[in-house]
Formats: sequence, C-alpha cells, structure tokens
Amino acid sequence: MDEKIKEEASKDNYRQEPKVGVYICHCGGNISDVVDVKKVAEELSKYPGVTVAREYPFMCSSNGQDLITEDIKNLGINRTVVAACSPSLHDLTFRGVLQRAGVNPYLHEHVNIREQDSWVHKLDHAGATAKAIKLAQAGVEKVRRKDPLNAIRVAAEQRVAVIGGGVSGMRAALSAAGKGLEAVILEKGPRLGGKLLDLGRLYPSGEEASAVVKKLEDLVRADKKITVHTDADIDFVGGFVGNFKINFKLPGGKSQQVKAGAIVMATGYEHYKPYKGEFGYGEAANVLTLPEFISLMKKLPAGRLEYGGREIKSLALIHCVGSRQVEGVHKPQADGKINDYCSRVCCTAAINTANQIKEKYPGVRIYDVYRDIRTYGMMHESYYEQASKNGVLFFRHTETDQPVVTSDRTGHNVKVKDVLTWGEELEFKADLVVLVTGLVPSDISLIKSQMKMPSSADRFLQEVHLKLRPVELANAGIFIAGAAQYPMDSTEAMASAGTAASKAGILLAEPDIPLEPFVAVVDEKKCTGCGLCPAECSYDGALTMSEKNGKKVAVVNPALCKGCGACVAVCEPRAIDVAGWTLAQFDAMVEAIAKE
Amino acid sequence: MPPNKKKILIITTNHSSYPGADAVGQARLAYEANTYIIRVPDPVMFPEDFYLGAFDKGIGGIIIMSSGSDCPYEGAYERLSKRVARVYEKMKARGIKADRLKLTTICTVCRAAFLKEISEMEKAVAAA
Repeated sequence: MDEKIKEEASKDNYRQEPKVGVYICHCGGNISDVVDVKKVAEELSKYPGVTVAREYPFMCSSNGQDLITEDIKNLGINRTVVAACSPSLHDLTFRGVLQRAGVNPYLHEHVNIREQDSWVHKLDHAGATAKAIKLAQAGVEKVRRKDPLNAIRVAAEQRVAVIGGGVSGMRAALSAAGKGLEAVILEKGPRLGGKLLDLGRLYPSGEEASAVVKKLEDLVRADKKITVHTDADIDFVGGFVGNFKINFKLPGGKSQQVKAGAIVMATGYEHYKPYKGEFGYGEAANVLTLPEFISLMKKLPAGRLEYGGREIKSLALIHCVGSRQVEGVHKPQADGKINDYCSRVCCTAAINTANQIKEKYPGVRIYDVYRDIRTYGMMHESYYEQASKNGVLFFRHTETDQPVVTSDRTGHNVKVKDVLTWGEELEFKADLVVLVTGLVPSDISLIKSQMKMPSSADRFLQEVHLKLRPVELANAGIFIAGAAQYPMDSTEAMASAGTAASKAGILLAEPDIPLEPFVAVVDEKKCTGCGLCPAECSYDGALTMSEKNGKKVAVVNPALCKGCGACVAVCEPRAIDVAGWTLAQFDAMVEAIAKE
Repeated sequence: MPPNKKKILIITTNHSSYPGADAVGQARLAYEANTYIIRVPDPVMFPEDFYLGAFDKGIGGIIIMSSGSDCPYEGAYERLSKRVARVYEKMKARGIKADRLKLTTICTVCRAAFLKEISEMEKAVAAA
C-alpha cells in the first residue's frame, strides 16, 4: 500500500462468532399494514445465526435505535439486520448505531421491505410477508459473512485545482478559498472569463457580462489563496483522490505541475457550430449564430442596426439549431450522434436578445421561429410576454417540418409550416437570419481519457446521481462545476460551482480523507498469479501484478479502485472480492431466497 | 401470490436501478411478490457460474437491471454484455430457455420499464 494510504485505526478487530440481531420496522403502518411483522420476527428468531429478532413501530426513532444498543450491550449482538425502508434513507443511521455501541459499522445489513415490498404488494399481504421473511433471511446470510471493514484514509493535498477559468471556475476557486483551501485556476485561454467575455447584457440582472467577469476576476486576483495560470495547456492529469497531479505548459513551453487534493472540472461548453449550408450558414451572407449576433450588437451604436454595411430592418430568429435534433431529420455530428438534448438556455437568451433589439432598435421587425419555447427559470416567462408586447411575431413548427431559408441578393425568404395557424405555410422576408444555436460540450477528451471520466449520452460530464450526488463524478475527488455537466446559464453555473467547491471543502476538511472501504481485496493465499484480472480493470494503476514474498500476486491500490468488481468475475479461484459485497455473500443470499 | 410460483431474482445497481425500484414503490405501483431484488455496485462482478448456480438453486428467472450507458464504471457495461452472452451459451448447452435471463437497463426513474421487464419475466417463468 502507498505510504499516503492507510487503513483507519480499527475500533474492533475481533473475529467473534456472529450473533445477529434482526429488527423489523413497522414504519408507522407503512410496512405493518401489509406485512405481518410479528410473523416475520417470529420466523427470523428461529433462523440459524439469529440471536434475537424484534419488531418495533419506528426503528429509526431514538427508542428504536436504543433497542439495538441495548441488545449489543446485553446480548452481545455483533451484527445487525434492519428490515425497514430503503437503505438510501437509513443505512447510515444504523451503521452509526453500531459504531456508537462499539461494533464495526460495516457489520450491518439494511433490508428494504417498504419501497420494494409493502408499497408494491398492497393487495397481497401473504405474499408480501413471505417476501419480507425471505429478504430478511437473505440479509442474515449476507451479514453473517461480512468482515469488519475500516475506512481507508488517504493523506490529502490541501489544494483544489480548478480546470477552467470562466465564471464557474472563478466562482469555485473563490468558494474554495473562502473555506481556507488553496485554489489553482488553470485556464487554457489568455484571459479569465470564458464564454461570458463574448456575451452582452445578461438576464435576469441586466448586468453587462463583462462587468460580471470583472467583478469576479478582481476578487480572484485579490485573493492570496488563489493562483491563476492563463494560457495553460494541460497535457497530463493523473493520481487519485487527495493526490492528483496536473502537468501543464505555459507559453514558451515551460512545464509546471499542480498537486491537488481535489479537482473541479469547470471546463464549460462550446457553442454549436452550424454546418455549411444549415439554414444558409456559411453560404449566404447575413446568416449568423446568436452568439455571433450578440458580439455584433455589443459593438453597434443605438439607432441603426446594421451588418456588412447594410441596415437590418427585419430579422428572423430560428431556434433549436444544433439542439433537440431528430434522427433522420438532422445531420449527425462528427461522432455519428445527434444532439437530441435541449440546450435549455437558448430560448431565454434568444428572447432576451429580441427584447434588447426592440429596446435599442424599435423599428426592426423580429420573427421568432420556434419548436417549443422553454424559458425555464424564475420569472423567465416574462421575457416571452414582454417580447409579445414588443411586437415580436412568433411562428411555431413541428420537429419534422423544419423551417426553410432561401437566400438571394435581396435577403432571405423564410418559410414555416406554422402550428399556431393550424399548419398554414407562412412566408416572410428577413434581412438577417440569426440561428439560435445550442451548447455542446468542450473538447476535454485528453483529460477525460486520462482520468476515465464518465460522460452521459449527450457527451457532457456525467454526475453520479442528478439528485443525490449532483456535482460528483464517479472518480472520487473530482467535482463538476457549471456547463461542463449540461447546458446551464451563468446563474446556475455559479450555483453549481459553489456546490462543487463545498463538496471539495468537505472532502479536504481534514488532512486525511476517509474513503468507503468497498474496494477490491485480494486473498493472497488463493491468488494464483494468473494475471487475468488487471486486464479487466479500466482504471490505470488500480490493479497490478506484483511480487510479494516470492510470489506473483494481484495488488489493489484502494485509492484508485472504484469497487465495480469487474476483476472479481474473471478470478476462477475467487481470490478477489469487493469488500462488503463478496460473491460468497451473494451465493448465500440467493440460496436463502430460492429455498422453499 | 400462489405458493408455488417460481421466484424471480432481480439484480440491481446501487447507482441506478435500485433507486429505480425504489421509485416504483414511491409511486405505489404494483407488481408480483415473487420478485427478489438484490443490489450490487455493478453486476459485472458476477461470473457466469453465479447465474447458472442461481438457476440450479431453483430461481425461475433472472433480470439484470444494469445502469447501461449511464454506468459510472468505465467499460463495465461492455464487459457485462459480453459475459451475459457467454451465460446464454452455457444456458443453451444445459437446456435452460434463454428468456429466463434478461439483461436490461433501468435508470433511477424508469418506472414503466421496470414494470414491463417484470411482467415479461413473469410470463417467461410461467411458461418455463
């Protein structure tokens, strides 16, 4: 084991005869109205290895928890099964009970007889009761085969590396620094600010994007805990939670390295680039994307909207370009996939821009061609109402009947089969066509492949769970901030960045990081040194072959192992298991379930 | 539930299909009580003989509810698919009908898909 990685001091290294306590929760009546909890407790009390089985109205209440504590004290219970609600709610609660009572917290098994039993078998009380008995028995079989586990502790660098210096990156660095951590921003571009540098007046505050960037940059530059490297070309990211290493080159080819305990991926997005000929883009004059138009508008004085020296009196906004694409209708991207996701922010951005045009150039006619208007967010619907009041004309098409733009020297002709007029084919002239383009992920393929970061089907970085672990990657110690995760506006991006920095702050709150011990473990006596398992492992350095006591054996780096168990399946002598989730446990559980 | 109904083993993942099964319960949707859900970090950990052993023990049908393309473990789904293909070959050699094992993808909110898979497996198990 690496010197930076050690097992947490064990509270109990005993190998006592398992004495299992089984506790059946009524959950008020949520369980007991359907499951005969008395019968379950009675059956379990007779089950081999079970010392005591009880039922109680609310096991999670302090009185319920005290029942277990008392049994540990008086009956010598050293393993518990609680049959109750989903483990997502109270597994940790009962692990805590064991820990406080001096029993290893991993000698607990939580059995779900609510969400996966009483709530789904309401009309079959006998069936639900029989199932609860079997599930609890399987839980007993599992817990009897559990070994005490100790959290793995990894010495950690008290520093956060923030990749990307846009608003998300700056916000994440400021939040991390506010928690007392050092933060290092690595920005590939020459300036901090990212995509906001190109934008104009932002919704909902009405602030200029450049002012927001300046405000954040001033704070970042003034904070002694934050180091900024612009023009940083990252060529290597490696290591593991607590001990990441990032190599990068600065202009002139000078190489540098940052060591960090956590990484925040604030790598942002790119604007979708229409292909040549998509609604005339790149072929006809006067076809721009919305970001290009916003850049243009920033430079123009009030009074006359012009492009290429010509006054623009009418303008068509075409939504969903590069977003919500449909198989068979839209041209696939370079990787063969279509962008079927909604880019979320473009509707509001487009309508906000339409309102700004009307404010600055009231005489300009605006035609807004959309499939669905999705001005999501607090009060954003008011932009749509405002645009309607401002005289913006809306046309709605279906996903298959795309608008058609034809161009000549006099301008553009836009044809729409309009749903709002019951499918009538409408046609209008526009001096300028603005394509409301979606967002696509930044190209971070090098970092993603080096760190094996997961992507969603949309190619953005994929969090572990959208609700339960929304800014965490499966890679321990790496967090996501902003639009690297999915399209979001700057308000959301900064909120997400604050969350990511908070998670990094919690992780690095102590110099040693505790990790769940559910990683692969090798029984060196059983290991034949065949070498099949490292080939199954997707994580560099997590599983290697090494000489130990004159024998070739598989060796796991617990800080790099993700605990997926891919190695387990190929080990014929069953020398590898995921701690806490062993094959022997599952075999015994299936045996218990199958038994009549 | 009739007493002799064959049991269905449902293998779920901590990240995805186990919360999906919880979501079915939270919505108070119903399915049959001969269904037994176990959860694992990822079903890729099970060797071929685990499935065959489960059939030998008397399990009627097995549904592997993986996380599919949302799997947080690099390459795990691809490895799992290949392994399940090998399990099918071994099942065929032993005369076990292929529809008694199903590899599918269930997300945290895939309630309808979850119920559909169970319904189909109930039919397969009844016909076996």
